[in-house]
Amino acid sequence: MAINKSRPKKPSKLSVYLYIPNIIGYVRVLMNVYAFAICFTNKQLFCILYFISFVCDGIDGWAARKFNQVSTFGAVLDMITDRISTACLLVILSQVYRPGLTFVSLVALDIGSHWLQMYSTFLLGKASHKDVKDSTSWLFRAYYGNRMFMAYCCVACEVLYISLYLLAEKPTEHLMDVLLSLTKEISPFSILVGLSLFGWAIKQVVNVIQMKTAADICVLHDINKKESP
Amino acid sequence: MAINKSRPKKPSKLSVYLYIPNIIGYVRVLMNVYAFAICFTNKQLFCILYFISFVCDGIDGWAARKFNQVSTFGAVLDMITDRISTACLLVILSQVYRPGLTFVSLVALDIGSHWLQMYSTFLLGKASHKDVKDSTSWLFRAYYGNRMFMAYCCVACEVLYISLYLLAEKPTEHLMDMKTAADICVLHDINKKESP
Repeated sequence: MAINKSRPKKPSKLSVYLYIPNIIGYVRVLMNVYAFAICFTNKQLFCILYFISFVCDGIDGWAARKFNQVSTFGAVLDMITDRISTACLLVILSQVYRPGLTFVSLVALDIGSHWLQMYSTFLLGKASHKDVKDSTSWLFRAYYGNRMFMAYCCVACEVLYISLYLLAEKPTEHLMDVLLSLTKEISPFSILVGLSLFGWAIKQVVNVIQMKTAADICVLHDINKKESP
Repeated sequence: MAINKSRPKKPSKLSVYLYIPNIIGYVRVLMNVYAFAICFTNKQLFCILYFISFVCDGIDGWAARKFNQVSTFGAVLDMITDRISTACLLVILSQVYRPGLTFVSLVALDIGSHWLQMYSTFLLGKASHKDVKDSTSWLFRAYYGNRMFMAYCCVACEVLYISLYLLAEKPTEHLMDMKTAADICVLHDINKKESP
Protein backbone atom coordinates (compact mmCIF):
# COMPACT_ATOMS: atom_id res chain seq x y z
CA MET A 1 0.00 0.00 0.00
CA ALA A 2 1.54 3.29 -1.11
CA ILE A 3 1.50 5.96 1.56
CA ASN A 4 0.21 9.13 0.00
CA LYS A 5 2.06 11.92 1.76
CA SER A 6 0.25 15.10 0.76
CA ARG A 7 3.03 17.62 1.25
CA PRO A 8 2.46 21.28 0.30
CA LYS A 9 4.31 21.94 -2.95
CA LYS A 10 7.47 23.98 -2.33
CA PRO A 11 7.08 27.39 -4.04
CA SER A 12 9.68 28.37 -6.62
CA LYS A 13 11.74 31.53 -6.19
CA LEU A 14 9.85 33.17 -9.05
CA SER A 15 6.47 32.37 -7.51
CA VAL A 16 7.49 34.15 -4.30
CA TYR A 17 8.68 37.17 -6.28
CA LEU A 18 5.24 37.13 -7.97
CA TYR A 19 3.20 36.98 -4.76
CA ILE A 20 0.37 39.50 -4.91
CA PRO A 21 1.64 41.60 -1.95
CA ASN A 22 5.10 41.68 -3.53
CA ILE A 23 3.65 42.86 -6.83
CA ILE A 24 1.91 45.61 -4.87
CA GLY A 25 5.38 46.35 -3.47
CA TYR A 26 6.89 46.73 -6.97
CA VAL A 27 4.01 49.03 -7.96
CA ARG A 28 4.81 51.12 -4.87
CA VAL A 29 8.46 51.37 -5.92
CA LEU A 30 7.55 52.45 -9.46
CA MET A 31 5.03 54.98 -8.17
CA ASN A 32 7.63 56.48 -5.85
CA VAL A 33 10.26 56.66 -8.58
CA TYR A 34 7.83 58.47 -10.90
CA ALA A 35 6.55 60.68 -8.09
CA PHE A 36 10.03 61.91 -7.17
CA ALA A 37 10.85 62.44 -10.84
CA ILE A 38 7.96 64.95 -11.15
CA CYS A 39 7.99 66.31 -7.60
CA PHE A 40 9.18 69.77 -8.64
CA THR A 41 6.92 70.12 -11.67
CA ASN A 42 3.61 68.67 -10.50
CA LYS A 43 3.06 68.97 -6.75
CA GLN A 44 -0.53 67.71 -6.73
CA LEU A 45 0.33 64.57 -8.69
CA PHE A 46 3.28 63.94 -6.36
CA CYS A 47 0.98 64.10 -3.32
CA ILE A 48 -1.57 61.78 -4.96
CA LEU A 49 1.08 59.19 -5.85
CA TYR A 50 2.75 59.44 -2.42
CA PHE A 51 -0.64 59.02 -0.72
CA ILE A 52 -1.58 56.00 -2.89
CA SER A 53 1.82 54.45 -2.10
CA PHE A 54 1.12 55.00 1.60
CA VAL A 55 -2.28 53.30 1.30
CA CYS A 56 -0.69 50.38 -0.56
CA ASP A 57 1.72 50.08 2.36
CA GLY A 58 -1.21 49.01 4.51
CA ILE A 59 -2.90 46.98 1.76
CA ASP A 60 0.05 44.72 0.98
CA GLY A 61 0.25 43.53 4.60
CA TRP A 62 -3.47 42.76 4.56
CA ALA A 63 -3.14 41.03 1.15
CA ALA A 64 -0.23 38.92 2.42
CA ARG A 65 -2.30 37.56 5.29
CA LYS A 66 -5.49 37.18 3.22
CA PHE A 67 -3.83 35.24 0.38
CA ASN A 68 -1.45 33.40 2.72
CA GLN A 69 1.48 34.96 0.88
CA VAL A 70 3.51 36.35 3.76
CA SER A 71 7.19 36.45 2.80
CA THR A 72 10.43 37.70 4.36
CA PHE A 73 11.33 39.33 1.06
CA GLY A 74 7.98 41.17 1.08
CA ALA A 75 8.57 42.46 4.61
CA VAL A 76 12.06 43.68 3.75
CA LEU A 77 10.87 45.25 0.46
CA ASP A 78 8.19 47.04 2.47
CA MET A 79 10.65 48.34 5.07
CA ILE A 80 13.19 49.52 2.49
CA THR A 81 10.53 51.27 0.39
CA ASP A 82 9.22 53.07 3.49
CA ARG A 83 12.69 54.15 4.61
CA ILE A 84 13.79 55.36 1.18
CA SER A 85 10.57 57.17 0.28
CA THR A 86 10.58 58.97 3.65
CA ALA A 87 14.29 59.77 3.24
CA CYS A 88 13.74 61.12 -0.30
CA LEU A 89 10.86 63.32 0.84
CA LEU A 90 13.04 64.64 3.67
CA VAL A 91 15.81 65.28 1.12
CA ILE A 92 13.36 67.32 -1.00
CA LEU A 93 12.38 69.29 2.12
CA SER A 94 16.07 69.88 2.95
CA GLN A 95 16.52 71.37 -0.53
CA VAL A 96 13.71 73.85 0.05
CA TYR A 97 13.72 74.66 3.76
CA ARG A 98 16.44 76.42 5.77
CA PRO A 99 18.06 75.22 7.94
CA GLY A 100 18.56 72.25 5.63
CA LEU A 101 20.32 70.33 8.39
CA THR A 102 16.99 69.98 10.22
CA PHE A 103 15.77 67.52 7.62
CA VAL A 104 19.16 65.91 7.11
CA SER A 105 19.14 65.12 10.85
CA LEU A 106 15.67 63.59 10.55
CA VAL A 107 16.96 61.31 7.77
CA ALA A 108 19.83 60.26 10.04
CA LEU A 109 17.47 59.58 12.98
CA ASP A 110 15.01 57.62 10.85
CA ILE A 111 17.62 55.42 9.16
CA GLY A 112 19.71 54.98 12.32
CA SER A 113 16.86 54.03 14.63
CA HIS A 114 15.24 51.58 12.20
CA TRP A 115 18.60 50.00 11.31
CA LEU A 116 19.56 49.43 14.96
CA GLN A 117 16.07 48.20 15.80
CA MET A 118 16.10 45.67 12.96
CA TYR A 119 19.57 44.46 13.97
CA SER A 120 18.54 43.97 17.58
CA THR A 121 15.32 42.22 16.54
CA PHE A 122 17.44 39.68 14.67
CA LEU A 123 19.73 39.17 17.65
CA LEU A 124 16.75 38.53 19.89
CA GLY A 125 15.05 36.29 17.37
CA LYS A 126 11.78 38.21 17.61
CA ALA A 127 9.24 37.97 14.82
CA SER A 128 8.96 41.72 14.27
CA HIS A 129 10.40 44.90 15.70
CA LYS A 130 6.88 45.69 16.87
CA ASP A 131 7.03 42.89 19.52
CA VAL A 132 8.46 44.75 22.51
CA LYS A 133 6.66 43.18 25.43
CA ASP A 134 9.73 43.27 27.65
CA SER A 135 10.55 46.94 27.21
CA THR A 136 10.70 49.08 30.33
CA SER A 137 9.89 52.47 28.84
CA TRP A 138 6.22 53.40 29.32
CA LEU A 139 6.19 55.51 26.17
CA PHE A 140 7.66 52.60 24.23
CA ARG A 141 4.99 50.22 25.46
CA ALA A 142 2.21 52.77 24.87
CA TYR A 143 3.47 53.35 21.32
CA TYR A 144 3.83 49.71 20.28
CA GLY A 145 1.09 48.36 22.52
CA ASN A 146 -1.61 50.51 20.98
CA ARG A 147 -1.73 50.02 17.21
CA MET A 148 -4.10 52.96 16.66
CA PHE A 149 -1.75 55.30 18.52
CA MET A 150 1.24 54.00 16.57
CA ALA A 151 -0.64 54.37 13.29
CA TYR A 152 -1.57 57.95 14.23
CA CYS A 153 2.09 58.82 14.91
CA CYS A 154 3.31 57.23 11.65
CA VAL A 155 0.57 58.90 9.58
CA ALA A 156 1.24 62.21 11.39
CA CYS A 157 4.88 62.19 10.23
CA GLU A 158 3.91 61.66 6.60
CA VAL A 159 1.12 64.26 6.78
CA LEU A 160 3.53 66.80 8.31
CA TYR A 161 6.21 66.25 5.67
CA ILE A 162 3.68 66.39 2.78
CA SER A 163 2.13 69.55 4.29
CA LEU A 164 5.53 71.27 4.50
CA TYR A 165 6.18 70.20 0.91
CA LEU A 166 2.87 71.72 -0.25
CA LEU A 167 3.38 74.91 1.80
CA ALA A 168 6.71 75.71 0.16
CA GLU A 169 6.19 78.38 -2.49
CA LYS A 170 9.59 80.02 -2.89
CA PRO A 171 12.73 78.10 -3.95
CA THR A 172 14.06 78.60 -0.41
CA GLU A 173 11.90 78.90 2.70
CA HIS A 174 12.74 79.44 6.35
CA LEU A 175 11.15 76.63 8.34
CA MET A 176 10.21 78.69 11.38
CA ASP A 177 8.68 81.45 9.20
CA VAL A 178 6.43 78.94 7.47
CA LEU A 179 5.38 77.25 10.72
CA LEU A 180 4.69 80.59 12.43
CA SER A 181 2.62 81.82 9.48
CA LEU A 182 0.31 78.86 10.07
CA THR A 183 -0.42 80.01 13.63
CA LYS A 184 -1.48 83.48 12.44
CA GLU A 185 -4.47 82.15 10.49
CA ILE A 186 -6.29 79.25 12.12
CA SER A 187 -7.58 77.15 9.22
CA PRO A 188 -8.45 73.45 8.93
CA PHE A 189 -5.07 73.02 7.28
CA SER A 190 -3.18 74.66 10.15
CA ILE A 191 -5.10 72.50 12.64
CA LEU A 192 -4.12 69.43 10.61
CA VAL A 193 -0.47 70.47 10.71
CA GLY A 194 -0.70 71.12 14.45
CA LEU A 195 -2.16 67.67 15.11
CA SER A 196 0.47 66.02 12.95
CA LEU A 197 3.30 67.95 14.69
CA PHE A 198 2.28 66.30 17.96
CA GLY A 199 2.30 62.78 16.49
CA TRP A 200 5.56 63.53 14.66
CA ALA A 201 7.25 64.62 17.90
CA ILE A 202 6.18 61.41 19.69
CA LYS A 203 7.52 59.29 16.83
CA GLN A 204 10.92 61.05 16.90
CA VAL A 205 11.18 60.54 20.68
CA VAL A 206 10.32 56.86 20.20
CA ASN A 207 13.02 56.68 17.50
CA VAL A 208 15.60 57.95 19.99
CA ILE A 209 14.47 55.49 22.71
CA GLN A 210 14.49 52.75 20.09
CA MET A 211 18.12 53.47 19.28
CA LYS A 212 19.16 53.23 22.94
CA THR A 213 17.15 50.04 23.55
CA ALA A 214 18.48 48.39 20.41
CA ALA A 215 22.06 49.40 21.22
CA ASP A 216 21.65 47.80 24.67
CA ILE A 217 20.46 44.59 23.02
CA CYS A 218 23.55 44.51 20.79
CA VAL A 219 25.77 45.00 23.83
CA LEU A 220 23.97 42.40 25.95
CA HIS A 221 24.19 39.92 23.08
CA ASP A 222 27.98 40.01 23.25
CA ILE A 223 28.05 39.94 27.06
CA ASN A 224 25.81 36.88 27.22
CA LYS A 225 27.89 35.14 24.60
CA LYS A 226 30.99 35.55 26.77
CA GLU A 227 29.14 34.19 29.80
CA SER A 228 28.31 30.77 28.36
CA PRO A 229 31.60 29.40 27.00
CA MET B 1 40.48 21.23 47.46
CA ALA B 2 38.81 24.26 46.00
CA ILE B 3 38.72 24.24 42.21
CA ASN B 4 39.78 27.64 41.01
CA LYS B 5 37.78 28.21 37.85
CA SER B 6 39.38 31.25 36.23
CA ARG B 7 36.50 32.55 34.15
CA PRO B 8 36.87 35.81 32.22
CA LYS B 9 35.03 38.52 34.13
CA LYS B 10 31.73 39.37 32.49
CA PRO B 11 31.95 42.92 31.10
CA SER B 12 29.27 45.37 32.16
CA LYS B 13 27.10 47.11 29.60
CA LEU B 14 28.84 50.40 30.32
CA SER B 15 32.28 48.89 29.80
CA VAL B 16 31.27 47.74 26.31
CA TYR B 17 29.96 51.22 25.51
CA LEU B 18 33.36 52.54 26.66
CA TYR B 19 35.45 50.16 24.53
CA ILE B 20 38.22 52.12 22.79
CA PRO B 21 36.94 51.39 19.25
CA ASN B 22 33.44 52.46 20.29
CA ILE B 23 34.79 55.71 21.72
CA ILE B 24 36.48 56.25 18.36
CA GLY B 25 33.02 55.63 16.89
CA TYR B 26 31.43 58.35 19.05
CA VAL B 27 34.19 60.77 18.07
CA ARG B 28 33.41 59.97 14.41
CA VAL B 29 29.72 60.76 14.99
CA LEU B 30 30.52 64.10 16.67
CA MET B 31 33.00 65.01 13.93
CA ASN B 32 30.39 64.28 11.26
CA VAL B 33 27.70 66.28 13.06
CA TYR B 34 30.02 69.29 13.34
CA ALA B 35 31.28 68.85 9.77
CA PHE B 36 27.78 68.90 8.28
CA ALA B 37 26.88 71.88 10.47
CA ILE B 38 29.68 73.96 8.85
CA CYS B 39 29.69 72.35 5.39
CA PHE B 40 28.35 75.46 3.63
CA THR B 41 30.54 77.97 5.47
CA ASN B 42 33.92 76.21 5.67
CA LYS B 43 34.51 73.76 2.84
CA GLN B 44 38.14 72.99 3.70
CA LEU B 45 37.35 72.20 7.33
CA PHE B 46 34.47 69.97 6.20
CA CYS B 47 36.82 67.99 3.95
CA ILE B 48 39.41 67.64 6.71
CA LEU B 49 36.84 66.39 9.23
CA TYR B 50 35.23 64.05 6.69
CA PHE B 51 38.65 62.65 5.79
CA ILE B 52 39.64 62.14 9.45
CA SER B 53 36.34 60.38 10.06
CA PHE B 54 37.07 58.14 7.09
CA VAL B 55 40.53 57.30 8.48
CA CYS B 56 39.01 56.54 11.90
CA ASP B 57 36.66 54.16 10.12
CA GLY B 58 39.67 51.96 9.37
CA ILE B 59 41.37 52.59 12.71
CA ASP B 60 38.49 51.48 14.93
CA GLY B 61 38.38 48.04 13.29
CA TRP B 62 42.14 47.67 13.85
CA ALA B 63 41.79 48.91 17.45
CA ALA B 64 38.98 46.44 18.15
CA ARG B 65 41.15 43.51 17.13
CA LYS B 66 44.29 44.84 18.80
CA PHE B 67 42.66 45.51 22.18
CA ASN B 68 40.37 42.45 21.95
CA GLN B 69 37.36 44.76 22.09
CA VAL B 70 35.36 43.54 19.13
CA SER B 71 31.66 44.16 19.74
CA THR B 72 28.41 43.76 17.80
CA PHE B 73 27.40 47.25 18.89
CA GLY B 74 30.67 48.64 17.52
CA ALA B 75 30.14 46.98 14.15
CA VAL B 76 26.57 48.30 13.90
CA LEU B 77 27.65 51.80 15.03
CA ASP B 78 30.32 51.70 12.31
CA MET B 79 27.87 50.64 9.59
CA ILE B 80 25.25 53.23 10.57
CA THR B 81 27.81 56.04 10.75
CA ASP B 82 29.09 55.12 7.28
CA ARG B 83 25.61 54.96 5.78
CA ILE B 84 24.40 58.21 7.32
CA SER B 85 27.55 60.24 6.59
CA THR B 86 27.52 59.07 2.95
CA ALA B 87 23.79 59.77 2.71
CA CYS B 88 24.23 63.26 4.19
CA LEU B 89 27.05 64.09 1.76
CA LEU B 90 24.85 62.89 -1.11
CA VAL B 91 22.02 65.07 0.24
CA ILE B 92 24.37 68.10 0.21
CA LEU B 93 25.32 67.27 -3.38
CA SER B 94 21.63 66.94 -4.33
CA GLN B 95 21.07 70.45 -2.97
CA VAL B 96 23.81 71.89 -5.17
CA TYR B 97 23.78 69.82 -8.35
CA ARG B 98 21.01 69.54 -10.93
CA PRO B 99 19.49 67.06 -11.60
CA GLY B 100 19.08 66.61 -7.84
CA LEU B 101 17.42 63.24 -8.36
CA THR B 102 20.80 61.79 -9.41
CA PHE B 103 22.06 61.97 -5.87
CA VAL B 104 18.72 61.11 -4.30
CA SER B 105 18.83 57.89 -6.35
CA LEU B 106 22.35 57.17 -5.09
CA VAL B 107 21.11 57.52 -1.49
CA ALA B 108 18.31 55.06 -2.27
CA LEU B 109 20.74 52.59 -3.86
CA ASP B 110 23.26 52.82 -1.01
CA ILE B 111 20.71 52.37 1.78
CA GLY B 112 18.68 49.73 -0.09
CA SER B 113 21.64 47.55 -1.06
CA HIS B 114 23.27 47.60 2.38
CA TRP B 115 19.95 47.01 4.16
CA LEU B 116 19.05 43.99 2.02
CA GLN B 117 22.58 42.64 2.24
CA MET B 118 22.64 42.90 6.04
CA TYR B 119 19.22 41.25 6.29
CA SER B 120 20.27 38.35 4.09
CA THR B 121 23.55 37.98 5.99
CA PHE B 122 21.56 37.46 9.18
CA LEU B 123 19.29 34.93 7.51
CA LEU B 124 22.30 32.97 6.30
CA GLY B 125 23.98 33.19 9.69
CA LYS B 126 27.20 34.54 8.22
CA ALA B 127 29.63 36.56 10.29
CA SER B 128 29.81 39.51 7.90
CA HIS B 129 28.27 40.62 4.63
CA LYS B 130 31.80 40.48 3.26
CA ASP B 131 31.81 36.65 3.42
CA VAL B 132 30.51 35.67 0.00
CA LYS B 133 32.49 32.55 -0.86
CA ASP B 134 29.44 30.83 -2.33
CA SER B 135 28.39 33.67 -4.57
CA THR B 136 28.17 32.94 -8.25
CA SER B 137 28.73 36.42 -9.66
CA TRP B 138 32.33 36.88 -10.77
CA LEU B 139 32.25 40.62 -10.10
CA PHE B 140 30.89 40.00 -6.60
CA ARG B 141 33.63 37.49 -5.82
CA ALA B 142 36.31 39.76 -7.32
CA TYR B 143 35.04 42.67 -5.23
CA TYR B 144 34.78 40.88 -1.88
CA GLY B 145 37.59 38.41 -2.53
CA ASN B 146 40.18 41.11 -3.03
CA ARG B 147 40.28 43.49 -0.09
CA MET B 148 42.55 45.97 -1.87
CA PHE B 149 40.16 46.17 -4.82
CA MET B 150 37.20 46.62 -2.47
CA ALA B 151 39.05 49.30 -0.52
CA TYR B 152 39.87 51.08 -3.79
CA CYS B 153 36.19 51.12 -4.82
CA CYS B 154 34.98 52.35 -1.43
CA VAL B 155 37.62 55.08 -1.24
CA ALA B 156 36.86 56.03 -4.87
CA CYS B 157 33.20 56.75 -4.01
CA GLU B 158 34.14 59.04 -1.14
CA VAL B 159 36.84 60.79 -3.18
CA LEU B 160 34.36 61.36 -6.05
CA TYR B 161 31.67 62.82 -3.78
CA ILE B 162 34.13 65.07 -1.93
CA SER B 163 35.58 66.22 -5.26
CA LEU B 164 32.14 67.14 -6.61
CA TYR B 165 31.45 68.97 -3.34
CA LEU B 166 34.68 70.97 -3.67
CA LEU B 167 34.09 71.70 -7.37
CA ALA B 168 30.70 73.32 -6.76
CA GLU B 169 31.11 77.09 -6.76
CA LYS B 170 27.67 78.42 -7.65
CA PRO B 171 24.61 77.77 -5.43
CA THR B 172 23.27 75.51 -8.18
CA GLU B 173 25.48 73.61 -10.56
CA HIS B 174 24.49 71.56 -13.55
CA LEU B 175 26.15 68.18 -13.30
CA MET B 176 26.70 67.89 -17.04
CA ASP B 177 26.26 71.61 -17.69
CA MET B 178 23.60 70.82 -20.24
CA LYS B 179 22.54 74.41 -20.72
CA THR B 180 26.09 75.43 -21.70
CA ALA B 181 26.28 72.47 -24.07
CA ALA B 182 22.95 73.45 -25.64
CA ASP B 183 24.19 77.03 -26.03
CA ILE B 184 27.28 75.76 -27.82
CA CYS B 185 25.13 73.81 -30.28
CA VAL B 186 22.98 76.86 -30.95
CA LEU B 187 25.99 79.12 -31.38
CA HIS B 188 27.58 76.56 -33.69
CA ASP B 189 24.59 76.78 -36.03
CA ILE B 190 24.49 80.55 -35.79
CA ASN B 191 28.19 80.79 -36.62
CA LYS B 192 27.84 78.33 -39.51
CA LYS B 193 25.12 80.48 -41.04
CA GLU B 194 27.35 83.51 -40.75
CA SER B 195 30.30 82.01 -42.67
CA PRO B 196 29.00 79.68 -45.40
